[in-house]
Amino acid sequence: MKSAPFEYAAPSTIGDALQILAENDPDEVKLMAGGQSLMPLLNMRLARPELVLDLGRIADLDYIRETDAGVAIGAMTTKRAVEESDLIRQQHPLFWESTVAIGHPQIRNRGTVGGSMAQADPASEYPAAAIALDVEMVVQGASGERIIAAEDFFVTYLTTALEPGEILTEVRIPRLQPGTGWAFDEVARRHGDFAIVGAVATLALEGGVIRDPRLVIFGAADRALRLRAAEEAVAGRPVSDETFDGTAAPIAQAVEDPLSDVHASEEYRRHLAVVLGGRVLRVAASRAGGGE
Amino acid sequence: MAIEIPKNLSELPTRQTRFVGRGIRRVEDAALLTGRVEFVDDVVLPRMLHCAILRSPFAHARITRVDTSAAEALEGVVAVVTGEDAKRWSFPAQSSPDGWGIHCIAGEKVHYVGEPVAAVAASNRRVAEDAAELIEVDYEPLDVVADPFVAMQSDSPRVLDDQDSNVMMDRIFTWGDVDGAFAAAPHVFNEKFRWNRLGANPTETFGCISEWDPMELNLTIHGSIQSPGMFGLGRAASFGLPSNKVNIISHPHGGSFGGKGGTRGCDISCLLSRKAGGRPVKWIEDRGEYLLSGGSQAWDRHYDVSLAVDADGVVTGLKVGLVDDLGATGEAYGAISAAKPLAAFTGPYTIPVAQYDLKLVATHKLPCGPYRGMGPPPHFFVLEQMMDIAARALGEDPAEFRRKNFIAPDAFPYTIPSGNEYDSGNYPEVLDQALALADYPALRAAQAEARAEGRLVGIGVASAIEPGVFDWNAYAIVGMPGTGVPEGATVSIDIVGMATVRVGFSLEGQGQYTLVSQLVADYFGYEPESVRVVHVDTQSAPPSFGPGGSRLGVAITGAVLGACERIREKMCRVVAVLMQTEPENIELMDGKFCLKGAPGAEMTVAEVAGTMLGRSDLLPPDIDPRPEATHVWTAPGRTPADEEGRAKSYLTAAQAVHVVQVEIDRDTGMVEIQRYCLADDCGTRLNPDTVEGQTEGSVVQGIGAALLEEYVYDADAQPLCTSFMDYLMPTVFDVPEIEKVAVVTPSPFTPLGAKGCGEGAIHTTPAAIMCAINDALSPLGTSAREVPAAPARLWKLIREANGGG
Repeated sequence: MKSAPFEYAAPSTIGDALQILAENDPDEVKLMAGGQSLMPLLNMRLARPELVLDLGRIADLDYIRETDAGVAIGAMTTKRAVEESDLIRQQHPLFWESTVAIGHPQIRNRGTVGGSMAQADPASEYPAAAIALDVEMVVQGASGERIIAAEDFFVTYLTTALEPGEILTEVRIPRLQPGTGWAFDEVARRHGDFAIVGAVATLALEGGVIRDPRLVIFGAADRALRLRAAEEAVAGRPVSDETFDGTAAPIAQAVEDPLSDVHASEEYRRHLAVVLGGRVLRVAASRAGGGE
Repeated sequence: MAIEIPKNLSELPTRQTRFVGRGIRRVEDAALLTGRVEFVDDVVLPRMLHCAILRSPFAHARITRVDTSAAEALEGVVAVVTGEDAKRWSFPAQSSPDGWGIHCIAGEKVHYVGEPVAAVAASNRRVAEDAAELIEVDYEPLDVVADPFVAMQSDSPRVLDDQDSNVMMDRIFTWGDVDGAFAAAPHVFNEKFRWNRLGANPTETFGCISEWDPMELNLTIHGSIQSPGMFGLGRAASFGLPSNKVNIISHPHGGSFGGKGGTRGCDISCLLSRKAGGRPVKWIEDRGEYLLSGGSQAWDRHYDVSLAVDADGVVTGLKVGLVDDLGATGEAYGAISAAKPLAAFTGPYTIPVAQYDLKLVATHKLPCGPYRGMGPPPHFFVLEQMMDIAARALGEDPAEFRRKNFIAPDAFPYTIPSGNEYDSGNYPEVLDQALALADYPALRAAQAEARAEGRLVGIGVASAIEPGVFDWNAYAIVGMPGTGVPEGATVSIDIVGMATVRVGFSLEGQGQYTLVSQLVADYFGYEPESVRVVHVDTQSAPPSFGPGGSRLGVAITGAVLGACERIREKMCRVVAVLMQTEPENIELMDGKFCLKGAPGAEMTVAEVAGTMLGRSDLLPPDIDPRPEATHVWTAPGRTPADEEGRAKSYLTAAQAVHVVQVEIDRDTGMVEIQRYCLADDCGTRLNPDTVEGQTEGSVVQGIGAALLEEYVYDADAQPLCTSFMDYLMPTVFDVPEIEKVAVVTPSPFTPLGAKGCGEGAIHTTPAAIMCAINDALSPLGTSAREVPAAPARLWKLIREANGGG
């Protein structure tokens, strides 16, 4: 299990990295962040790039910074650093829970926030959290910087809105409005495995009525899916079993073409989406302020 | 002079055993923990090459062209071998049943995905893999059979062209008047079960370095080899060499659990070495190769089982129908796993008659190999489900139903219908201890409360036998010849009195070097750390099989104590000469040879050894002056199998009862193990810490079998689980605290009364967990008959039981 031959570059600045990208055929370059997905693909010869561009030496991409709007996380920040950040844990608990559900400590020691986002695995926790939290993806390319909303960033299996020659450099997470309830849940065969299906939710309560619900599931489709019809089914309604049970039909309908593999059939995944969607909304409601 | 191997601890020549029977610090660990153990991949030999193997992507195809020219032209490539080389220079693999082996590299046809098609030896592994990609192979795909029931049909695609069908064996074994028992029974229960393919996953996969000496026609193999002696005989057969021309140097290795097969890859590296003019060729099986086509898979079984029960709830007959899908060939000895249940067919119960309708079938999947337990774990999974089905139907508590059918403590030695003899046991006591540990009444009370809340909580109580100290005769029905498995040890004491023990097996993880040091230390009055245990290659080692079949702890105890006895006997004669008395007047006690009735007239072991080696001129010529002895131990009283496979085979019968509580999430089908309690009796515990480690590891593998592990193939026999993303073993998060209690009923037949315990809990764990799951499901009127009980499977059962569908 040895990779096919490839060239290797490890620039120390984002400028150098962009330069190298510009000088090479982008189809033949693989960016490496923590390498947790890329290294197995290389070693199994499923990926055979001409050049591996390792971003691991770009120190400028490793930070967690509080901002006026929330927090900015450098793309090369490890998940372990996020896990150990009091700022994230206290002010961005949904993102923190999504982080600790990823793999095991060894994986989180190497895996990065930007790497997971850019990998866009449909069963990955981060894209779902990013969509639910209105995360902004900061991207740099030859023509400068642009910002992509999370919901537009994840396109389909392992595919993002990044253009050839662009690098994801920062993830900006807005602060939750005070009183916002949130929840994260997933079903995996074992702790630390990619989820069969997972779900995240945020919502607010105003006089016992649900406002601004967000419901995103992952592992059930080609990308993390925001379930607007299910959100509409609970928005403006009181917290009750009837309200949450009302999400079953729209969730099942939204999960049109779920994945099927050795661990879960399509129908089991669709069913889990319904179960977990209901569960996270209930938990989010129980955590929201302003319930009375 | 006859020697007598002590049958219990009090017969050792010490007033108080200081080490045997206690959990002492392992002598192996310092080197392992500080990285000073040489594993085979650490070994670098002069002019060594590295092997990569090209494997078939098809389950069944004709090979129409193999072009190796581009690979041969790559810089760094020294040799390339194909099926033609294998055919010219080697024989088809030996197999069980006989005649189901093929060459180590495919010739005209491939028979399963991952079968080797060609191989390269190059300056390093990377170049070898690059070169393997350059080999061009044209395949003409053929029809595939992945289902053993289809494979048994006469119009099925045939796996091996030179066989008339895909049925390797089809026989019914009947032990007693089974028809009569079933005709007379007021209750007959029948059920079908599916045990999906799983298997061993040692930390280290197989690896070897093969060196073919073209002048002397010697073959030297370094490797991570579980049974070096057997492995050497196998390689001699592969290449038509006299057995004494093959030398196996086994290195310490990271576990096996039956997965250290590696014979094909090893034979391929031998062919490459030959083609490369005798340069050593290293082949390290990587995890991808292991999961795809190594010793990774076992027990792909379809069961149809019937139980006859009389009016009093006593089980009067058992019929087991097994269709065992062994994959493409018989080379990995998966058939043995179908034969081994004969050693404990009726479990811990008095079931007087039994029948085994056994069909071994070839399909286009990886050949099945051994796995810890070697066949009985699925057998006990079905037997214990049947016991629960009967108990539930008759309204009896599953624990008490088992107790009623247990073999009584005074009934041993007890011969079961399939012919084996159980040595000893106290099954009711083991059950009592397990139930007390779990506080069974409290568990049932808590379950009743949970059920009232609509929760799916279940309790499983299961019992099984672990046959210990294997013998080939247990596998006579699948063509394994012979009776008796030798294990030898050589104990040498040097001129200053220090002891070295030479054994024929290397470190594998079970702590047997510690056991050897405990035995010699208590026998001659040493500290265990001062006893050196060394592994020697097969051309120097005493006869040895090594670990396997839950035998080595017992067998090496017999070998070491036998060698110690021989030294003691010899030293008594020496001391008698020096003290001018008869040997009968000399006694070894706590490391000193004493003249009976003459306090102070004594010599230490070191003094005797020094005298023997330094002053042999003082000894009569009929005394061998070396303070050294070899003893080869074999299990006493084994018998050849009769026509129906009946034999005294496995020497010991350990027994266990496991009590498990689970809860199933009715919305997701996920199972949580909430309590895990067990009692087990494996006779004298020579090192209780080692037994505990074996038990815990084996429970973990049993949990994997019950809930997680499965090699899935699609209808075209394409494997779908070829990495640890898809083949799921338990992690620390999936294993509850395992509560344990020991019962000790020494074996009357073994050295120190120990019983085999190396395979252990996996005999009982899958059964116990499935009993618990089905107890949880019982209010829904449904039950799970397939392992692993994956959440998707349980959810489907729950949904169907709720009228969904």
